[in-house]
Amino acid sequence: MLGQLKYAVKYVLGLDQAGKHYAVFPDDTFLVSYPKSGNTWVRFLLANLIYPNETVGFANINRLLPAPGVLSKRFLRKLPRPRILKSHETFDVRFRKVIYLVRDPRDVAVSEYHFDLKKHYIEPDVSLEQFVKRFIAGETSSYGSWWEHAASWIAARHGNPNFLLVRYEDLLADAVGETGKIAEFLGIKADRERLQAAVERSSADRMRKLEKQQADQWTGTKNTRKEIPFVRAAKSGGWKETLPRQSADEIEAAWAPLLNCLGYELQSPQLDSTAMPAWVKAGQPL
Amino acid sequence: MMKQLIAVVKHGLGLHRPGRNLVILPDDVFLVSYPKSGNTWIRFLLANLIFPEQPATFANIHRLIPDPTDSAKRDFDRLPRPRIIKSHDCYDPRYPRVIYVVRDPRDVVLSQYHYHRKLRKLEDDSPLEKFVTRFLAGETCPHGSWGQNIGTWLYTSEGNPRFLLLRYEDLVADTPRELAKIVAFLNLSASQQQIAQAVERSSADQMRKLEKTQTDKSGLTKGSRKDLSFVRSAGSGGWRSELPAPMAARIEAAWGPLMRHLGYEVNSQSEAARSQVPGVRFQEKLAVEFSRDLTPKT
Repeated sequence: MLGQLKYAVKYVLGLDQAGKHYAVFPDDTFLVSYPKSGNTWVRFLLANLIYPNETVGFANINRLLPAPGVLSKRFLRKLPRPRILKSHETFDVRFRKVIYLVRDPRDVAVSEYHFDLKKHYIEPDVSLEQFVKRFIAGETSSYGSWWEHAASWIAARHGNPNFLLVRYEDLLADAVGETGKIAEFLGIKADRERLQAAVERSSADRMRKLEKQQADQWTGTKNTRKEIPFVRAAKSGGWKETLPRQSADEIEAAWAPLLNCLGYELQSPQLDSTAMPAWVKAGQPL
Repeated sequence: MMKQLIAVVKHGLGLHRPGRNLVILPDDVFLVSYPKSGNTWIRFLLANLIFPEQPATFANIHRLIPDPTDSAKRDFDRLPRPRIIKSHDCYDPRYPRVIYVVRDPRDVVLSQYHYHRKLRKLEDDSPLEKFVTRFLAGETCPHGSWGQNIGTWLYTSEGNPRFLLLRYEDLVADTPRELAKIVAFLNLSASQQQIAQAVERSSADQMRKLEKTQTDKSGLTKGSRKDLSFVRSAGSGGWRSELPAPMAARIEAAWGPLMRHLGYEVNSQSEAARSQVPGVRFQEKLAVEFSRDLTPKT
């Protein structure tokens, strides 16, 4: 009862957490990805690009590039427009302009496993093999499976000029070039110097340092296991060393068509894109 | 402030509409479709099957098969489980089990056009041509375009045992057979007699009768024009005589491959016109970009 009363007061004042229930404006841009796909890194990149005079860190990232789920409705309403918001939601028709960040699910699985250990979401004795089976079934996240997430966005928006598909791997290989593409998509005029500065200020080393100082000031890392870092390898293809062959095979068997479509090379090449439905191969915006 | 206080009181009594904040239970079943695809009819069919002691009407359907945006939270809490919940949403990973009903978009566009006239969203002389353009862009309802709605569900969930895909046309052609598929999907047991009774009680004629007396008791028809009916032809293929060929061709050009995948006949000439649809060229360019990455790396 007291809890409900507290909520009622918060609700009236607009201080309740927005969760899934917040107003979306037609001029909003969303940075969307499945969890553990480089979303925080891109938030840093964009915040450093847009606010070159701020010292971007974990302590202020929720203010600079807001994550609606953990913020109050009043805060979200008062943000200057157009807003750029972070999201992990599957396809939402209200999101008109979307940067969709996708990452090789074999790396996502390893990253999510460490993150879930850090967050106490899973018991310390859960093995990576066990975790991957649940990962494929979409049981490790409230945002569906990696496949369902990527497929919902790609099926609905692929080919739409207001949908920018960015691969985490391309961002790693050429951070300045890819950040430039995102800047252009957002209508931000940024020369190479400014892009480079944003990339340097968002480097993995710098983010690791910031995490050490500010871990308790950010919702993503507060009250988590300190011995497991949030900023981990920050590279691609790590799965080749850490993911058991069997687990990688299971992911490929489950999601070969989309892996192929996104250019992620399979270690079992016999799984080609023939399983892709014809209407998807026709590659037409819906 | 006053408005928010009223909202708080409503909240306390469970009279508010839960909308996106609906707490979903692990055994919930969602009856999903794009608007104007037979959703209300199937709500009646299922309500009449599951609650035979209480024939479904336009006045009680929002309590029997509730809609998060139209029914009160209290209605959800009072339902026996598993609950069957109506939705028009695009793919949502939170829905544990889904019955998706798809209908030929060429019929959907006509049905939506008539419904919007009934709701006074469109003037009588509003050109159908213009409506088709908006329909293709997904601007006639808040649930995406027809292609996006079915596309997000199909691409994510087709083949999943927790996802049952039904075509409105099949339901019209053989209602008991298709209803039996739903019964099996829901793990219910229903005799042929029970199914026949549900079909009978949900017939177009019966629904038309109910509509006449209850039009102001349902959120679906409240305040709308009385001279146009909510339950219209209740048939399939009406587009062949009612939808001008060039407009049908535009719909086929936009969603040809998807329609074919669903077993809807598509004129091949319309599909050839695809390259003229805005966005398709761009799409093909992207496809080339991906196929570059697809070539085996040596």
